[in-house]
Amino acid sequence: MTANQIRSEQAISEAAALGEKIARGATLFSKLRDNDVAIATTPKDEVWHQDKVSLHHYRPLAEQKIATPVLIVYGLIGRYTMADLQEDRSLVRNLLKLGVDLYVVDWGNPSRADRWLTLDDYIDGYLADCVAAIRERHGIDKVNLLGICEGGVFTTCYAALHPETVKSMMLTITPIDFHGDTVENRLGHGFINVWTRSLAPEDIDRLIDAYGNLPGEFMGAVFSQMTPMRTLLKYNLDLLEVVDDDKKFLNFLRMEKWIADRPHHPGEAAKQWLKDLYQDNKLIEGTFTINGRKVDLGNITMPVLNVFAKDDHIIPPATSQALGAKVGTKDYKELPLPGGHVGVFVGGKSQALLGSGIVNWLAERS
Amino acid sequence: MTPLDYMKAMAELWGRGGKDFAAAQQNFLAGMMKATGSGTPLGALPTDMFDTQGLAQANEALSKLWSSALEMSQTITRKMQSAEQQDPAVAELLSKIFDPRAWLSGTDGMDQALQRMAEGPRLADLWDTERKMLTLFNAWTALRRRSLEHNAVILEAWIRAAGRFAKDLNEKADRKEVLGSWRDVVTLWVETANTTLLETQRSEPYLNSQREVLKASTDLRLAQQEMAAFYSEIFGYPTREEMDDVHRTVTELRRELRAFQRANRGTKTGLRQQSRASQSRIQHDPDRGTSS
Repeated sequence: MTANQIRSEQAISEAAALGEKIARGATLFSKLRDNDVAIATTPKDEVWHQDKVSLHHYRPLAEQKIATPVLIVYGLIGRYTMADLQEDRSLVRNLLKLGVDLYVVDWGNPSRADRWLTLDDYIDGYLADCVAAIRERHGIDKVNLLGICEGGVFTTCYAALHPETVKSMMLTITPIDFHGDTVENRLGHGFINVWTRSLAPEDIDRLIDAYGNLPGEFMGAVFSQMTPMRTLLKYNLDLLEVVDDDKKFLNFLRMEKWIADRPHHPGEAAKQWLKDLYQDNKLIEGTFTINGRKVDLGNITMPVLNVFAKDDHIIPPATSQALGAKVGTKDYKELPLPGGHVGVFVGGKSQALLGSGIVNWLAERS
Repeated sequence: MTPLDYMKAMAELWGRGGKDFAAAQQNFLAGMMKATGSGTPLGALPTDMFDTQGLAQANEALSKLWSSALEMSQTITRKMQSAEQQDPAVAELLSKIFDPRAWLSGTDGMDQALQRMAEGPRLADLWDTERKMLTLFNAWTALRRRSLEHNAVILEAWIRAAGRFAKDLNEKADRKEVLGSWRDVVTLWVETANTTLLETQRSEPYLNSQREVLKASTDLRLAQQEMAAFYSEIFGYPTREEMDDVHRTVTELRRELRAFQRANRGTKTGLRQQSRASQSRIQHDPDRGTSS
């Protein structure tokens, strides 16, 4: 190998700057309190609960402009707090400020005791009851649904099974065609799809038998693998980049807080998620069933807004866009946003576009 | 702190994730030798019942790769500095950045997560039930073996990445390009390494070895549960299986209750709608002389 040069004086100078950074960061770190990194702080009230699931109604931040309430439905992987990470990066606040009457469902912290809960329970049980509770509170027949990621799949199934109760459906970063990662086959994109298909169905069954659920830390490890060098650098170089900047450092810590809060996925529901959907792709094939009823995407006759991230490495765009050809409505619109999976909600540009994009679309259909 | 101290601190920070790997390997192998040797509690058991051969083979393969990777790492680090400007702090930093141990400790999060989960309950004091213990021990050995095999796949990827990186550096040197900053070096390394890792993750060897780690981890967990169930029964405690049965019953009862409540709510709503409809009919009935 030919010798390459790194100038020592340059390295020493950079090291000195680095030292100053670390010193400033240490000072900032010593002043931090729990409240400084609190997430999901937008005020809300619990209006319904059953078992570990609760429904919350956000307090308004502006005059209501969209007549029909919107229910945010997150999935069981991760937590809804992503939609309200911090005051200036909050889909929840953006929607409230634009006059949306907003609800969110919190699935709680499933434990091994919840091993036997199925997607049927979540979609046809808890979610259906949340919708019923909102309809009853407002004396209305239909609500607007806003599904996020796995929650978008719940929303899609619910809308297909109970279209008479859904005024419009909005999806964000939602997989519909679980084999759609092969359309573009981008390096570093769709690893969960590839990984899940590399397993045999019995591997998944035994995993759930052994642990009773899909452990949160396990899924966290799978996500970390998707950005291998990022994972390796996160707590050294990345942290050093932001450690002396109050705002960036707090953003970093809040995001870490959200990532660390990864609930276990109930076992039987996880089997359906990984085998029926990721492996067998039953949703797009029209063979997925909930409580013995086929989920027919053609029954989705209400207006649909499908939001996806153009650089989403977890849910590649094609996996979301597949919905367009399957729904039973002509009022179908796609909203591609710049950035990645989480960037849609917290990225400076995307999160603003997401809030206004949703409200403008709703207003046109009010 | 002087700039050199800061540079050392940075090197330490970089290497934090990977520094314990070698020590852990040594401890593990020492423990294995002790466990399978004579004069120990395990030594009293027939050692040919333990499946240690596969583990030894996996370890040998990893050791060979390890030597190659370390040699390559040292060569890269050495060549990154010009002979006349040796700076120990910079050398230390570079050696940490190009240390393959960081990959093994930082990129196999899945492996670590599985091992943490599998090793939850400690059952080291259960020596009376040889058969179950052997199953458990073999499951543990199998997990270690699969982990070593998976690490070998990752290490091969590191060697490939290091080779590409060295090639890039040579080409830059041929073009008389100067790398002005260690950050330039790190950026080049990160880009090269990331691409190689992502390619590796989609390869059959990687997916297969990871699947084997997952299966071995699950087997170990199930073997542990079998031991736990054995003792639970002796002491009259509920087993995991019994608890699962109870939870299943509770879930099914809740499901029925929800369905009942929903049906009840539907009936009430239906009655309210019927009542509203008939009220409306009465108000519009001309014979009753009312209208709203």
